[in-house]
Amino acid sequence: MTSFKPVDDGHADLSSHDAFLSGAPHNTFARLRREDPMSWSEMQGGKGFWSITRHADIMDLNKNFELLSSARGIRMEDQTYEEYLARRTFQETDPPEHSRTRVLVAKAFSKPVVAQFDQQIRTICDSILDDVLARGSFDATKDIARQLPMRMLGQILGTPDEDLDWLVEKGDQLIANTDPEFTSLVLDKVDTDAYRLMPFRSPAGAELYEYAKKLMRDKQAKGDTTGVLHLILQPDAHGNVISETEFRNFFCLLVAAGNDTTRYSIAASLYALCQRPQLMEQLKAGDNNVWETSPDEFIRWASPTMHFRRTATRDFELHGKEVKAGDKVIMWFISANRDDEVFQNPFELDLLRTPNRHVAFGQGGPHVCLGMWLARLEVRILLQELVKRVKSIEQAGEHEFLRSNFIGGIKRLPVTIKAH
Amino acid sequence: MPKVTWILADGREISAQVAVGHNLMEAAVANNVPNVIGECGGCLSCATCHVYVEPDWAAKTGKPGEMENDMLEITTAERKESSRLSCQIVATEELDGIVLRVPQI
Ligand code: HEM
Ligand code: FES
Repeated sequence: MTSFKPVDDGHADLSSHDAFLSGAPHNTFARLRREDPMSWSEMQGGKGFWSITRHADIMDLNKNFELLSSARGIRMEDQTYEEYLARRTFQETDPPEHSRTRVLVAKAFSKPVVAQFDQQIRTICDSILDDVLARGSFDATKDIARQLPMRMLGQILGTPDEDLDWLVEKGDQLIANTDPEFTSLVLDKVDTDAYRLMPFRSPAGAELYEYAKKLMRDKQAKGDTTGVLHLILQPDAHGNVISETEFRNFFCLLVAAGNDTTRYSIAASLYALCQRPQLMEQLKAGDNNVWETSPDEFIRWASPTMHFRRTATRDFELHGKEVKAGDKVIMWFISANRDDEVFQNPFELDLLRTPNRHVAFGQGGPHVCLGMWLARLEVRILLQELVKRVKSIEQAGEHEFLRSNFIGGIKRLPVTIKAH
Repeated sequence: MPKVTWILADGREISAQVAVGHNLMEAAVANNVPNVIGECGGCLSCATCHVYVEPDWAAKTGKPGEMENDMLEITTAERKESSRLSCQIVATEELDGIVLRVPQI
């Protein structure tokens, strides 16, 4: 993820989580874009995979779901058919099946509907800032970045506030299942076979399953039909209703997808403000509609969801490489977001960048992030409220990255802030 | 190649020749038409390619399909009778001269 100057030697092993411990190996991505844009990696304990690293190739291929399917798993790890069925959500389906579910939930996440959260988000930001301003020095990931998406998730799911910490902890165990700080069952280090039918192959998935079931029962008993979860239970245009397993998986998807991604976008933004004080000044001045364009630029630069996987449905050739049906193909969104064929000076933030055709949300395909309007709004409002109240922000210690080649994030960011 | 004109909310016009077979979202993006974003690559997942078809052209572009009709419910700008998702309109010789209005978003 975020760094102004990557430190890898240009030959990082993309299958290795450790290769991402000092930030994403951008020198490797740059070399691959230049020299080997469809490159093969071996993977320990499983099948190897192809890496797509150029922006143009992602734009070409992400929409081609008939060739590169999401319906055989979207994470780098191999999955048996049985595991796939037990764990899948609509994210692991292709159109037209995918579209039928997407349409059901799209409205709840549309820009105009999400805009109604504006005041709520501001109120949450105010209380977060009250807390950190009182302290002055703190961990910006934990005390700012983690807080806002977590509290918004509660609003969206309609879960009681006192459950939020627990929910986010479980969500972290699902997503950060390769970082020992977040789970004792590190995916590539211990035998997780007993949990293979659980979301993200994690016992936290089982606990979230149980929670979701109970939440629905309680809501039904009270006749409570508010919120996103109710929508997903409605029959689609063909009268199909999702199964209980699919429902619980959707719940886990929201807990997982809506949380750490926004958190690490905010953490990256705050890190950038520490490193580039002129960005802070630019935001404070608020000229040239900077609030319209800057959230996307922060999110491009952060690219917290570094990749998603597809599976080839038939043999094809790309850049001279023979891809076989059944091969795993990884789309490295983070690499595309640093492609200098598309972005001038890609390692720096240009808060007025227009157009900004980044792919941090998986743009260019049917699975483009459902929560993108919410994520943009959260990033924008957090920064707006921050620059209103905070005069300066400085890094107060070494930052640390998450151990993951999937989610890129600064998991610890010690800072000191001063009020106006 | 059919000519397509986009009229922006501020009255500015952008015109381009579009190869037959390309959809009009792709054409707008290729010609940097602001506010036609097309975030899902034409897969009917985003509605960010929303345009209003000028009344004279409505008959030729036809009506939105079933899925498009559903997705038109989530546009950022107001949905009107003339609303279409431009990724679902494919350039044909018949559409030579078509005029689309781009909403302010
Ligand atoms: C900056 C924050 C975020 C980033 C960078 C991000 C990134 C992504 C990406 C790259 C995808 C594409 C997956 C694929 O191609 O298979 C995606 C899909 C998705 N995201 Fe996000 N996301 C963010 C925030 C959110 C939020 C806040 C929510 C919900 C509250 C959310 C819910 C989803 C869902 C449900 C999908 C699956 C959509 C589908 O398959 O149709 N995301 N996201
Ligand atoms: S480009 Fe997404 S619906 Fe048209």
